[in-house]
Amino acid sequence: MSRLPLSLRIAANAGASLVLAFLVMPILAVVPASFNKTSFIHLPPRAYSGVWYERFVEDAEWRSSLLNSLEVAVLATAIAVVIGTLAAIGLRRLDGRMRVVVTALFLSPMIVPVVVTAVALYRSALDVGLNGTILGMSLGHVILALPFVFINVSIALRAVNESWLRAAAGLGAGPLTIFRTVTLPNIVPGIVGGGVFSFITSFDEVIVAVFLAGHGNKTLPVKIWESIRLEFTPVIAVAATAMIALAIVLFAVAQTVSPKTRDQAQ
Amino acid sequence: MIPRRHLETAFLLSPALVVLAVLFVVPLARLFSLAFTDPAGPLATFAILAESSVYRQVMWNTFLVAIAVTGTCAVLAWPVAYVLSRLKGIWFGIALYGVLFPFWISVLVRTFSWMLLLERNGPLNRLLMSTGLTDAPLSLLFNDIGVMIGMVHVLMPYMILPLYGAMIRIDQRLLLASDGLGAGLVDTFRRIYFPLCLPGLAGGATFVFLLSLGFFITPALLGGANAITLSMLIASFVNDRLAWSLAAAGSLVLLAAVLLILGLTARLLPLDKGLFAK
Repeated sequence: MSRLPLSLRIAANAGASLVLAFLVMPILAVVPASFNKTSFIHLPPRAYSGVWYERFVEDAEWRSSLLNSLEVAVLATAIAVVIGTLAAIGLRRLDGRMRVVVTALFLSPMIVPVVVTAVALYRSALDVGLNGTILGMSLGHVILALPFVFINVSIALRAVNESWLRAAAGLGAGPLTIFRTVTLPNIVPGIVGGGVFSFITSFDEVIVAVFLAGHGNKTLPVKIWESIRLEFTPVIAVAATAMIALAIVLFAVAQTVSPKTRDQAQ
Repeated sequence: MIPRRHLETAFLLSPALVVLAVLFVVPLARLFSLAFTDPAGPLATFAILAESSVYRQVMWNTFLVAIAVTGTCAVLAWPVAYVLSRLKGIWFGIALYGVLFPFWISVLVRTFSWMLLLERNGPLNRLLMSTGLTDAPLSLLFNDIGVMIGMVHVLMPYMILPLYGAMIRIDQRLLLASDGLGAGLVDTFRRIYFPLCLPGLAGGATFVFLLSLGFFITPALLGGANAITLSMLIASFVNDRLAWSLAAAGSLVLLAAVLLILGLTARLLPLDKGLFAK
């Protein structure tokens, strides 16, 4: 196995290239689709034009859906990052069975199928009047984003040596000073990585948002979801292209801020 | 008096615990309790799900699609994971980004892309026809084929990464030793390489299977009414029929299946290594 025969090596490389092409290429199909001139999506377009970009910018509903998405994602990320970071730090102080139970609880939103979470949130949101509000969607996304912050910060915390904390305490530093001068500087990459991933999780999220959006406060994915079923014009491809562009920017941010997030992104 | 250290720990953990309790555990518990409130009896909703041939068909279809997607991903992930474990430098970076990049793109956008590609008059059908592989356009959309293609595309990285994680941890000297002791390629693979890859494969397969069971966006858009899955059924109970008790019962069935499989695989295989090591 350490040296596969040439024919098998070629086969493995060819297979890997094909699968990688299958993973990456189809995603980019929406970009040329967004430049169609006609109202029917043809791939590749018969005639190119930016008319659907104008439509996207001029249409009040598309514009407000983009703003709603940003608002929801910022709010959800802010909450998830603060409580997720505190929780990851706190968890290190637990041991034994408690630690296992609390970890399982923090990761549980990744296990429960999102449809189930969405239906449960919808039911409770109806009862307390959070249905159809930005706050309701943000709170729903906090639940989905929390595990990512928790995992990223937990991994970053492994680099913080317990003896540093004891040394700082022995030198007379209070808990807040220790956090600010020892813990925090070492876990910034984890916090940023978790934050970026939270943001994209919320910004991309469809299912919880579809249930909680109501009529007035659609997010961009909800608007795309509805348009796919109603009108299916190239303006959807414009919105999808915008989402890809934002994802690429955030991906680049995550890569540069922390060389480690690459391994944590999964 | 409670020690100060315990108070600090409670202060650190409580915001997240309260948020999870109020926004996750309580809503789930309230939803699930609805499953038992049917006027016809506490288990009437489950009886409806079990007895209707339509609902049984939906659950069976969900299970079959999940199996097929997991199997396809497991096969296709091998060459990528293997090549990743061998590449170095810039080529490794390119290949790894190829696997990680799709993670960052919304599932909705990826599914929409496949709708464009798989259309009756779409590029894929035109390619197949121009190469003479088919005479008439194939129907690739709004059936199980479309759902399979879309789901394999979305879930494949979850299989590749754990498998790759297992492969890079294999001590190359074991393979050299096997070689040196006279084992052929097939024997070395069967007795050394494959068993060492197994935790990664099992971890990836569990991940893909569990995600498949609860998948919603991709089957809803690529399968439509012809390939209904359990998650679509739950959504339709709520949105189209306002049948909350049935939605609750369906949710419980789905969650129970997920937990059962997670529990079984965790018991049988060293899952934590496959899932979290990388």
